[in-house]
Amino acid sequence: MKKPYGGIERKLSRWGWIFITPSLLFFSIFSFYPILNAAYTSFFRKKILSLKPPTFIGLKNYSYLLQSSDFWNSIRATFVFTVGTFIPLVVFSLLLAVLILSVRKGQKYLQLAYYAPAVLSSVVAAVIWLSIFDPRGIGNQWVNFFMNTPGIDHKWLASSFMVQFSTILVYFWKYIGYFVVIFIAGLSAIPGSLYEAARIDGASNWQSFWRITFPLLKPTVVLVSVMSMLQCLKTFSTQYLFVQAGSPQAPINVITLNIFNTGIRDHHIGRSSAMSIILFLIMLFFTWFQFKTSKADDVTY
Amino acid sequence: MSTIAIQPRTSRMISPVTILIYLILLGALIFTLIPIVFMFSASMMPSKDILKMPFRWIPRGFHWQNFAKAVAGNDGSYIFIRNFMNSMIVSGIVTLTTVILSAITGYGLAKFRFKGRNFVFLAIMATMMIPFEAIMIPLYMVATKFHLQNSYGGLTLPFLVNAFGVFMMRQYLLPFPDEFLDATRIDGAGELGIFWYVVLPNCAPAIATLSILTFRSQWDNLLWPLLIAQSEKMKTLPLYIVKFSAEKYTNEGAMMAVAVLASIPMLILFFTMSKYFVSGSAVFNSRKG
Repeated sequence: MKKPYGGIERKLSRWGWIFITPSLLFFSIFSFYPILNAAYTSFFRKKILSLKPPTFIGLKNYSYLLQSSDFWNSIRATFVFTVGTFIPLVVFSLLLAVLILSVRKGQKYLQLAYYAPAVLSSVVAAVIWLSIFDPRGIGNQWVNFFMNTPGIDHKWLASSFMVQFSTILVYFWKYIGYFVVIFIAGLSAIPGSLYEAARIDGASNWQSFWRITFPLLKPTVVLVSVMSMLQCLKTFSTQYLFVQAGSPQAPINVITLNIFNTGIRDHHIGRSSAMSIILFLIMLFFTWFQFKTSKADDVTY
Repeated sequence: MSTIAIQPRTSRMISPVTILIYLILLGALIFTLIPIVFMFSASMMPSKDILKMPFRWIPRGFHWQNFAKAVAGNDGSYIFIRNFMNSMIVSGIVTLTTVILSAITGYGLAKFRFKGRNFVFLAIMATMMIPFEAIMIPLYMVATKFHLQNSYGGLTLPFLVNAFGVFMMRQYLLPFPDEFLDATRIDGAGELGIFWYVVLPNCAPAIATLSILTFRSQWDNLLWPLLIAQSEKMKTLPLYIVKFSAEKYTNEGAMMAVAVLASIPMLILFFTMSKYFVSGSAVFNSRKG
């Protein structure tokens, strides 16, 4: 297929272009153009529905944001949510994956059962947990039962600490099974012969986990960490529903919620575009970071 | 075929470690399943039972009024049915176009050599790094300019194909034998015919996985419909849920009934096609390959 028959080669390359053109057009209109447009709009003072032409204000939107306590609160809320969610997610899903693979029976069923919450939509998940977190709901009942503190209201949706914890819990619940499945795929790719060799050399289970599994699984750990981090940075539904249900907004005013409110409710298109670009750059950094680390750590068995 | 296996009578001791492992797995199982069980039980109870102190996990009976209320809505408008159908239509259109466009593009990138192919591939992959949340405002302005609010076009257009789908189909088609394609070419098949009759049927597992991922993500989509669908008639299910839960005097039982109804299509998909559901998550792992 190198160059022997020029005519067919040309014809085929033309067909290649024909096949990719529709998607290329799509991505140009619905991905590249909007991100450039967001970057462009972020330099303007622009109000939606306003007849006044947008005025160019340079970096003023950015400098405004950097001085706005509301924006920094969003960064804080996003950071708390992301770190508070992805670290437990990675740790517990890895632990569960290893434990599932170590038992003899029911591996498939356990995986499916852990995966079940990921099947429900995030709006449904938020609504279920809203009921559980009701002052009279089973959240309080169970916690009071286990901590032997009858009749205490833990204010799941009211106190600023608890409402942050509640959103984290919902997300953790929804995604744990998803990451267990990814870890199991990663773990299953490690050839069993390595463990047999280690066993013959007298390694304990503990040693073979830290010496074989963990180093070889590092790319998966990095992948899962970045994936869950990116996922957490984009969280919206849970926080939106909680606020709609009457929770205080400030503690869980994550950046996506802030973009939405600034742009759509308050009509500050320029400002919310600047926020979008900042979110984009943060996520771009983590994606770049992932590619860099996963390339450096590419393992061969 | 059945042979009587004579078990050696070594009463195997179950080690404490094994017990501990099972306990942890069981704890995690309770944690993941309890809220789902709660949703189902609560959907069949009158609200006063749901918030009663010891929650009773097995409902006393089937309180069908919850489901009647869920479908009729608080105002008795039955808009639920329309919103449910909207979700079906939007998810269906998006899934269909995503699968076909991803397969076509993935095939073009995997099996044809042309100048700029790698650049195009990288450009498409780059769009995976653009979060929807960062471009929703410009998209919204474009949609308003073209008067696409409250239309199926507006709801579906930004999602007709996605980079992950293209990536997945390309990876799947890379090992497809070129000789086979050349043979059909020599037999006189046209390029579109080859794609439709030869390539597409051979991608069935990848198509199933991609369909489920796409359908689920659209079924779950709250943010874009929130921007684009203001009229009750064009709202999708997630918006119905938001509205239902935000209305005052909501009854908890009816809320859970709405949640159950919204989950049923996904649960059916999950139980019939769990293999593809789960492999869809694991597919990310093969991205290095």
